[in-house]
Amino acid sequence: MSSLTAARRMLQINRENAIGYLLLVPSIIIFAVFTFWPIIYTVYLSFFDWNMISPTKEYVGLKNYIEVLSDPKTYRILGNTFLYIALLLVINCAIPYIFAFVIDIVLKKYKNFYKSALFLPAFISLVVGSILFTWMLNPVSGPLAIVFGWIGLEIPNWSKAEGWIIVVLSLITSWKIFGYNFILLYASINGISREIIEAAKLDNIPLWRIFIQIILPMSSATGIYVFIITIVQSLQYVFTPVKVVSQGGPDYASSNLIYHAYHEAFVVYRTGHSATLSIITMALFLLLLFLEFKFVERGVYYEN
Amino acid sequence: MKRWLLATLCIGFTIFLAACNNEASSESSGNDGKTVIEYWHVNAETQGGQTVTQLVDDFNKQSDTVEVVAKYNPDMYKGLMQNMQAEAAAGNSPAVVQIGWAFLNYFSENFEYVSPQTVIDKHFPEEKTFLKDHFLPNVMDLAKNAKGDQVGIPYSLSSPVLYINRDMLKEAGLDENGPQTWEEVKSFSKEIKERTGKYGFYFQEPADNWATQALLESNGASFLTDGKATFASDEGIEAYQLLTDMIVKDKTALHIGWDQGVQSFIDGSVAMAYTTIAQRSNIQDNAQFDVAAVRSPIWEGKDAKLPAGGAMLAITAQEEEKQKAAWEFMSYLYSVEAMAEWTKGTGYVPPRHDVADAENGLKEYLKENEMMTAAIEQMDGVVPWASFPGDAGLQAEQLLLDLRDQLLKGSVSPKEGLEATEDEVNELLQ
Repeated sequence: MSSLTAARRMLQINRENAIGYLLLVPSIIIFAVFTFWPIIYTVYLSFFDWNMISPTKEYVGLKNYIEVLSDPKTYRILGNTFLYIALLLVINCAIPYIFAFVIDIVLKKYKNFYKSALFLPAFISLVVGSILFTWMLNPVSGPLAIVFGWIGLEIPNWSKAEGWIIVVLSLITSWKIFGYNFILLYASINGISREIIEAAKLDNIPLWRIFIQIILPMSSATGIYVFIITIVQSLQYVFTPVKVVSQGGPDYASSNLIYHAYHEAFVVYRTGHSATLSIITMALFLLLLFLEFKFVERGVYYEN
Repeated sequence: MKRWLLATLCIGFTIFLAACNNEASSESSGNDGKTVIEYWHVNAETQGGQTVTQLVDDFNKQSDTVEVVAKYNPDMYKGLMQNMQAEAAAGNSPAVVQIGWAFLNYFSENFEYVSPQTVIDKHFPEEKTFLKDHFLPNVMDLAKNAKGDQVGIPYSLSSPVLYINRDMLKEAGLDENGPQTWEEVKSFSKEIKERTGKYGFYFQEPADNWATQALLESNGASFLTDGKATFASDEGIEAYQLLTDMIVKDKTALHIGWDQGVQSFIDGSVAMAYTTIAQRSNIQDNAQFDVAAVRSPIWEGKDAKLPAGGAMLAITAQEEEKQKAAWEFMSYLYSVEAMAEWTKGTGYVPPRHDVADAENGLKEYLKENEMMTAAIEQMDGVVPWASFPGDAGLQAEQLLLDLRDQLLKGSVSPKEGLEATEDEVNELLQ
């Protein structure tokens, strides 16, 4: 008798589960078609030599991996990628953090104005932003060059100078991401109990200590999210200005892993190399995420 | 449970219907007995797409036998090539296609096509001399593949010209008609820098070696000889030296991205700019000074050799009837009126030599758009755009771009750089 009820209960649970799974089906299909399948296909392509137009693909084994890993360009581009990550973390994670803190805790007036003003550029397309900045920062005849000219200064020829180009492209990218990250961090800081902060202020704790010892730990859940998103997303966002402004030039000085994968596939049509680069990039990011989970996540404070 | 089944069925049915609908749209015979053919082009709305639509509509209205369906292919000539690959795999093919010069050899090796002259000879004997009568031989040669077969007919053409800021030239006390030779470009540029403090010259730097080829080959160098790279000849090095000197040594020429370079010319920070005629309407509409376009400079005592940009039309129809229809449509596209419309809509130079002076052609238009004249006048100097053969061709192209970045930065000398790159390219091409 009891075994019968147990079996019936099992069936009951299974039926409930079935509906749950059924509801999942649409999103699983979408993921399968647009995420899993492309990943599998990319892995597949990385073992072939193919020019994207020809009907035949030639199997070459690990040749693509050997070629990519022995190319000095790959390491230059890897270096650029880390430079981008470092710069973007400063511009799009550290600075918005401080801004959010200052506007929420320190400022007394015009908070709403600052909030909307800082978020506004996030609405504008990056392509438009890139073209706009290319014009404004034209080292010969752009408005900034003219203003600098009045005081006898010259703008470096950034679009053709190594290093500078990465700085400017990162700045253009922040035009898009800064506001979004700022709003996220602001919301998180805003949610911190005022009593703690007021108490600290009464005790004459300096602002920088409030920031580091109260705000940072208490908003760290959002902080870590913004940190990761900045690394992962802004490298993709940076693609747009790279494509519009420099096409990876001069001599690969502004290329990064993601742009270079595009360049190999859609400019020189070496899909094998491109797929290989994508796989390497993915492996690298998985490693970064793993390290993050292992070492950073432990110190994060989740309210619930 | 039944409800779920129903929902699933519903979705399945919708997808099935959508698929069916797709099938149905690719039928090929017209409703009133006309032969229906497809014309594949790459012109988006902003890049002459409206002219394509207009030309096709006009053609369909006046033809009793042929109905043309224009199909736009995104992503330029490469996109069109990919779509054709898919179509060929399914056993179909459009009738008339635009093929960019870079794909000329690839197209002729991998696709079934029929030479326009063959179709003319077979079905339109009265037009036998049409191509010979209306096109310059060097222009027709642009559409010949490596084996020398006439693959198609040049359709959209562009060439590089020198844009000059007459006001600045006058201010510097120079000939307001601009320099005639590259040597003069260098000395003009120096004068301008000394007298006005502004840059003298900008040489276009997009992601191709088109203008570089014009510079080097006009001096007698040759990019490709029998499938091997040969740009590092003495003439090639001399030509690149001039440009590098202007940028690195004299600092009279600007080294900057293409958009910014053209922008700097338009706002009067640079006196001369060497770039494609396709920039004409942009420059003409936005420049606030006395602007002109003059013929591409030559080297003292040598002829200009200017690579053509753009595309040709090729016939890929398989059945006789459709091939016939394809030429009927093409001969309309190559009529003086249609050519003139094409030039007005896109800014390309007409490949026919008799359109510019024709009353029903561009005569009036050229009076208003004088800058176009320079590009039309230099058509006799047009040569094929060097495309490095084989799959490695695009990488070879990229190596030359990398070289340009290094040379104009001054990190290697033209002799060293060109020779090293030539070896590298030849290794790739083996």
